[in-house]
Amino acid sequence: MSSKEKRSAQLLQGTLDLIVLRNLETIGPQHAYQIASRLQQVSDQLLELNQGTLYPALVRLEQYGWIKGAWGKTESNREAKFYAITPAGRRALEKETTRWRRMSELVERLLLEGTQA
Amino acid sequence: MNRYIAQAVAKLRNLVAGRESDADFDREFGTHLAFLEDEFLRRGLAPAAARRAAKLECGSLELTRQSHRDGRAFLWLTQAAQDIQHALRSMRRLKGFTVAAILTLALGVGANTAVFSVVDAVLLKPLNYPDPDRIVQFFLSSSGGTAKGASIPDLRFWQDHANSVEEISAFDFGQSEMGLTSGAPEQVHGIHVTSNYLRLFGASLVLGRGFNADEDSAQGPNVVVLSYKLWKRRFAADDQIVGRAISLDKDWYTVIGVTGEGFRTEPEAQLWIPFHFDLSSVDKLHSFGVAARLKPGITLAQANAQLDVASEAARRASKMPDPDFEFKLRKFSDAMVSYVRPSLLLLQAAVILVLLIACTNLANLLLMRMTVRKREFAIRGAMGAGRGRILRQLIVESLLLCSFGCAVGVALGLIGARALLIASPNALPHIGKPDLAFGLDRRVLVFAAGLSLLTTLFFGLLPALDVCREGFENDLREAGARQGTGARSKRAQSVVVVSEVALSLVLLIGATLLIRTFICLSRAEPGFDSHHVVLMTMPLHDGHTDTAASATSMVRNAHQELAAIPGVEGSAATFSAPYASRMGLPFTSVSSNSTVSGDGEWMAVSPGYFGVLKIPILRGRDFNSNDNEGAPAVVLINEAMARRFWAGRDPIGQQILIGKDLGPKFKDTPRQVIGIVGDTRDDDLSRAPEPTMIIPDAQEPDQMVELETQFGPMWWLIRTHLEPKKLISAVSEPLRRASGGRPVGSVRTMDDVLSDSIAKQKFNMLLLSVFALIALLLAALGVYSVMAYSVTQRTHEIGVRMALGAARNDVRNMVLHEGAVRGVAGMVCGMCAAFFLVRLLADMLYGVSMRDPAVFFAVPAFMVFLTAVAAWIPARRAARLDPVQALRFD
Repeated sequence: MSSKEKRSAQLLQGTLDLIVLRNLETIGPQHAYQIASRLQQVSDQLLELNQGTLYPALVRLEQYGWIKGAWGKTESNREAKFYAITPAGRRALEKETTRWRRMSELVERLLLEGTQA
Repeated sequence: MNRYIAQAVAKLRNLVAGRESDADFDREFGTHLAFLEDEFLRRGLAPAAARRAAKLECGSLELTRQSHRDGRAFLWLTQAAQDIQHALRSMRRLKGFTVAAILTLALGVGANTAVFSVVDAVLLKPLNYPDPDRIVQFFLSSSGGTAKGASIPDLRFWQDHANSVEEISAFDFGQSEMGLTSGAPEQVHGIHVTSNYLRLFGASLVLGRGFNADEDSAQGPNVVVLSYKLWKRRFAADDQIVGRAISLDKDWYTVIGVTGEGFRTEPEAQLWIPFHFDLSSVDKLHSFGVAARLKPGITLAQANAQLDVASEAARRASKMPDPDFEFKLRKFSDAMVSYVRPSLLLLQAAVILVLLIACTNLANLLLMRMTVRKREFAIRGAMGAGRGRILRQLIVESLLLCSFGCAVGVALGLIGARALLIASPNALPHIGKPDLAFGLDRRVLVFAAGLSLLTTLFFGLLPALDVCREGFENDLREAGARQGTGARSKRAQSVVVVSEVALSLVLLIGATLLIRTFICLSRAEPGFDSHHVVLMTMPLHDGHTDTAASATSMVRNAHQELAAIPGVEGSAATFSAPYASRMGLPFTSVSSNSTVSGDGEWMAVSPGYFGVLKIPILRGRDFNSNDNEGAPAVVLINEAMARRFWAGRDPIGQQILIGKDLGPKFKDTPRQVIGIVGDTRDDDLSRAPEPTMIIPDAQEPDQMVELETQFGPMWWLIRTHLEPKKLISAVSEPLRRASGGRPVGSVRTMDDVLSDSIAKQKFNMLLLSVFALIALLLAALGVYSVMAYSVTQRTHEIGVRMALGAARNDVRNMVLHEGAVRGVAGMVCGMCAAFFLVRLLADMLYGVSMRDPAVFFAVPAFMVFLTAVAAWIPARRAARLDPVQALRFD
């Protein structure tokens, strides 16, 4: 377990929200399993999401009013709860993305400066 | 919407719909599992293996569900709920401690609040006048004391010269009973006032208007203002009442107004009528009170200074109406409660003592509990509970304990307050009768509850801070090493026990002194026989019986009618019945061979008065029917008067002149002293009899009769050999007939009147006894719990001692000795404190000295006994321990 942890990327506080929102915006409504496997796939298994992290994030986003969950049917005719991004979610995503970019740029610059010195 | 607000709203909604969301989550998680299972199936696993793999991959459903739940809810709320559950569990586990602590809190909070609320409602209730602190009362003070009675010249002087006050108003001290005869006759209480009285006290009016100056002049019309209650009850809230005439004592009075519902005066009244003073009068009779309002911006001290200057100027010009006195202003509210102040001080002291004891007890209990639980916290700490978390749990426990205690306390307080109100005598100086629906006094409740909370928190957390500082490891080791009680906590316990015993001893001594006072008072010889005597009042101030001749003939008629009734042994009439107000007058001896003069109480009685009350005629003769207006003027004096003014000489045959130089109202002829009667304590049982002059009613000057009829009713005293209450209906009718149709007012037995006269002392005693009892309970509880705890703590040590050969008696004596040392130390401290504190009580005692040796011996002895019992129970338990089990005891 511990070695696995070292390999996989640790999520920064708040970044999971951003990733989930972005995912829902580009692909459209998905259920929790889809979100989890998609994130794993995209991150080349580097992002090990456990349910104890994903579900509270979904709860939080729904509480903020940024996503909305509704029960529906999958292609395999199974019942699942599909989460979709709301207009408020889109606005938040935009704002958070800008913030994130600015933040990572800043961190990048600071790190570079460190190596130069 | 801000996301945090949205989140809070969602969380709030979850509070209600939490269960539904749980189900929803389970369903969602179920599909999640199913998808995973499908995935594993696709990878070629067998169905059973696929299911297991899916479950493994997903991790614990319970954990995920919990994190989901936490996300949905307010986390702190969930944790607080957990803390409360935990606290409740630990309270249940330490049942003895919990019950003792809650009881202590409840007694401390409840009893104090109850007693203080009653005292506040009965004695202290702030007057509901606008700006009550600006209302002042005029006093006449001299080296001999202070009186609040004023005369018309005084009133006029103040109206002219007291420039720092306004709305100077006069009012009756006592209520006049008046016969309201519009409709069914009934007695109502009225007071006479000057026209601006209602304005001074800020009376609101629901109908009509207050008095104007014309209505208050000497020739003013008969007008009346009704109280809201009387108007509502008697006149069915008739809104056409203004302008109508009602009949009061056979005169017609025009109703001009009705006061607002909340308006009350002191003395209480159902209606107000103008004095109709003749301001040019030079009558020196001091018969009414005068109050006024300080002018804006003027302080009481300034007003007094101004009054002093004016009086001094008048004194120099010889225009001072009462040259023997100085005029003083005092706050009206202070003047009203001044004579209950000592009792209040006493009660406040008692409240503080009991609260102190309760808090000490609580502190003690908490300290003990903490030592017991040190190990629990050490273990929890070792298992990873943060210090913050442990502290928070302790706070929750303290708060919970305190709220339970206060809740029980409030319940106790409400019950207690009602019980006390029911027990509170009518003779107490009520400022308005409190009704039973009254609430507890909030300030005291907050004070008592606050102090308890502080104690609980402080002593609940103090050891915890200790634990945190020293680290858990020590405690774990200490608890594991089965040590006895540490020296430090033992010292703390000793302090607690000693102070508890001392404090409650102080209260007990005080209460015992008051109980002895009351017993002495109830056994005090009043000097007359109160049994089998009925007292009835009959107001005569209707102007039809204002001469001695008319009053006397009425009394003689009634006397004959009453004599014919079976069961009546004798009857008499007077305006100055026992425990009713009496006039004080000066006298001068006018015999050629003597120069005696002084002051004494004065009363006129009908023949038979001394027989009815069985007051002995010590020398000389009683009045008889020949002592009428034509006969030589005579007077009887009491023993106290003979002793004070004629010590060693014979007063009989002396001529005295009563009321000399007091003006025409008190003009009398010289009277011969014809006998000496026994002393009676018929004003205040606790006070020595005053010198008293008694004259026969037939010889009373007419103007005195007129005066007396205005001030109070006539009292009928009837002796019977029957049960006094049975006589009432039989005598009321003949009395009415003989008096020309006057109704009888109040009817009481002399025994009741006598016991009412000491009702205040009884109430004081009751209150302090309640406090002392609570203190005693708390102290006993405290001593017991400390000793019981000490035994539990030392169980192991006791086991070792027993194993080494200590006999059971040795063990018992060891524990008893420990209790005794603390008890005796407390006793000594308590005695010392009481020795000085009894000074507070000095004025309230009668028949027992402040430092009564019997009380100072018996009460501590009782206390010794009680501490011994409290220590005996744990001592016996210690002695009965099985050494083997004691050794194993952890």
